[in-house]
Amino acid sequence: MAGAIQSNVRVAPASGFVATQATSEPALVRWLLTGIAILFLVVFLFLPLAIVFSTALEKGFAAYFRTFQDPDTAAAIRLTLLAAGIAVPLNMIFGIAAAWAIGKFEFFGKSLLITLIDLPFSVSPVVSGLIYVLLFGMQGLLGPWLIDHDIRIIFAVPGIVLATIFVTFPFVARELLPMMQAQGNDEEEAALTLGASGWQTFRRVTLPNVKWALLYGVILCNARAMGEFGAVSVVSGHIRGVTDTMPLHIEVLYNDYQFVAAFSVASLLALLALVTLVVKSVVEWRSKEQGNDQVPLGGEEGA
Amino acid sequence: MSINVRNITKAFGRYTALQNVSLEIPDGQLVALLGPSGCGKTTLLRIISGLEFPDSGTVEFDGQNITDQSARERRVGFVFQHYALFRHMNVFENIAFGLRVRSRATRPPEAEIRRRVQELLALIQLENQARRYPSQLSGGQRQRVALARALAVQPKVLLLDEPFGALDAKVRMELRRWLRKLHDEVHITSVFVTHDQEEALEVADRVAVMNGGHVEQAGSPDEVYDCPATPFVFDFLGKVNIFHGRVESGDPATGTLEIGAPGHLASGRPPAAGYVRPHELELRRERNGDATVIEATVLRIYKAGPLARVELRRRDTGELVQAEIPRAAFQALALQPGETVFVKPLAIRRFDDGMPC
Repeated sequence: MAGAIQSNVRVAPASGFVATQATSEPALVRWLLTGIAILFLVVFLFLPLAIVFSTALEKGFAAYFRTFQDPDTAAAIRLTLLAAGIAVPLNMIFGIAAAWAIGKFEFFGKSLLITLIDLPFSVSPVVSGLIYVLLFGMQGLLGPWLIDHDIRIIFAVPGIVLATIFVTFPFVARELLPMMQAQGNDEEEAALTLGASGWQTFRRVTLPNVKWALLYGVILCNARAMGEFGAVSVVSGHIRGVTDTMPLHIEVLYNDYQFVAAFSVASLLALLALVTLVVKSVVEWRSKEQGNDQVPLGGEEGA
Repeated sequence: MSINVRNITKAFGRYTALQNVSLEIPDGQLVALLGPSGCGKTTLLRIISGLEFPDSGTVEFDGQNITDQSARERRVGFVFQHYALFRHMNVFENIAFGLRVRSRATRPPEAEIRRRVQELLALIQLENQARRYPSQLSGGQRQRVALARALAVQPKVLLLDEPFGALDAKVRMELRRWLRKLHDEVHITSVFVTHDQEEALEVADRVAVMNGGHVEQAGSPDEVYDCPATPFVFDFLGKVNIFHGRVESGDPATGTLEIGAPGHLASGRPPAAGYVRPHELELRRERNGDATVIEATVLRIYKAGPLARVELRRRDTGELVQAEIPRAAFQALALQPGETVFVKPLAIRRFDDGMPC
């Protein structure tokens, strides 16, 4: 009896997706699809990345590091860090507030707010930059008033910070929103009946529940803040050493035929991207580890 | 702590969830709010808890009007239908939460918190699971943790929203016995919401049957089961057969109800409806000269279980009738589908005669 039963039992692989006859493809199709995917990755991702680093190091490490001693390059790096350093925390606060309001409450104009949050994604970055020029520029709406009060926004650091904030503003809210909506209000209500105040509920229940999604949103926000070109380019005015961010500075160097320098700075941004990827993977892994598999991942947007 | 709900009305937009509801919950009792989904029972529970506020009417705890107090001030323990455990905290921290969020002045020292949580863990028989996260527990365990978390703050009132709704039948049964036992030990005024009449009748001291935003009847399980006040309560608390007939003789309100075929009835007599539970029907092979029996055909027979259930179709009106008879009686009859039997109602309940049952 036992033997008869045993002979009928197929040993299934212990983990993961089991390909049954119905879902598996012929070997040729499988290899072809995998091959196309790999070829695509090599041509469009690995090759460019390799070229960035190989060109940067073409003339050796000494030349590579000499690039960063150039005062204009150092200024560009500082400016990028400053813009990201202001934009990311502000957008984090805004993102949490917006996701919280939309996810946990019902109010008039909610869908309009959701649409507005997505606006920077749907508008071309160049247009985003132009909006600020039209608002704060010399011929702009507020231009004369700003000139009277000797405040410079366009072709100055404030304009770059503003443009960066605008372009990166949906990232945190977009990551948190689906999560907050999915989690509903139950845990918050439970906390209230247990005597927690509004702030305690937010800090001890709402925030910890979305911490991985928040971190994920911040990582993406930061990557975009440092890499933004279009919007910043319009408001910057390309004053070397003053209003050039790293992406703008790379363009300037490249146009000056300083390939090693251009690619050296570019390699910094590429490194940032790699670090971002690693941190992102760790965050995903950690959030799964906690049994909190609701982190909505994906939805990356192009620059 | 007694709870007194007076003339509560609550609407969500155009939908009226509660219509002038009044209910008294005596101190120390375990009360069930029973009704079909959408009857307003959960809304009423949430209004008692302070998670929802009524459009009009008042809520009193021990005679004190607390309608305007928030959930936080009312000190109620609330157990949510889907537990609402804090997913990023382990079992211990979940239970300790209510103590930890207290202001510095009223917060017990850490050792006292640990002692209290250990006590509650023993009460819910999960001493060994203190370090686990909610996602690692079974549904029944999560429900018990939710209960312990609510009890940790020593609430004046315990409110439970469909506490066993999401559990399978066997765990449900165990947990409701356990809840009853727990209530007998702790004696805290408790209200729970359920749509399961068996659960309500078995566990509660008092049952309030709700329908369409109002309370149809409130009373002890025996009262509501034996003396349902309205056809809805009768129907909701068990299976029912409705016989339409005419009052045969005497006073229209009190005369005997004739439930024979419409054509055979003396016309001109007032119509009336009689309600009969399936187990209050007797099945016979012969008419025995009794004019009050109904001729019916056996459609289906379900023999599994303590009672044999027989589905019948009336010969005269074509209406379906359900009967439940003891297995011994069923075996003596030896019925087969398609055979003809005579149905004799042993007790008929009417709601139009104005009589207490």
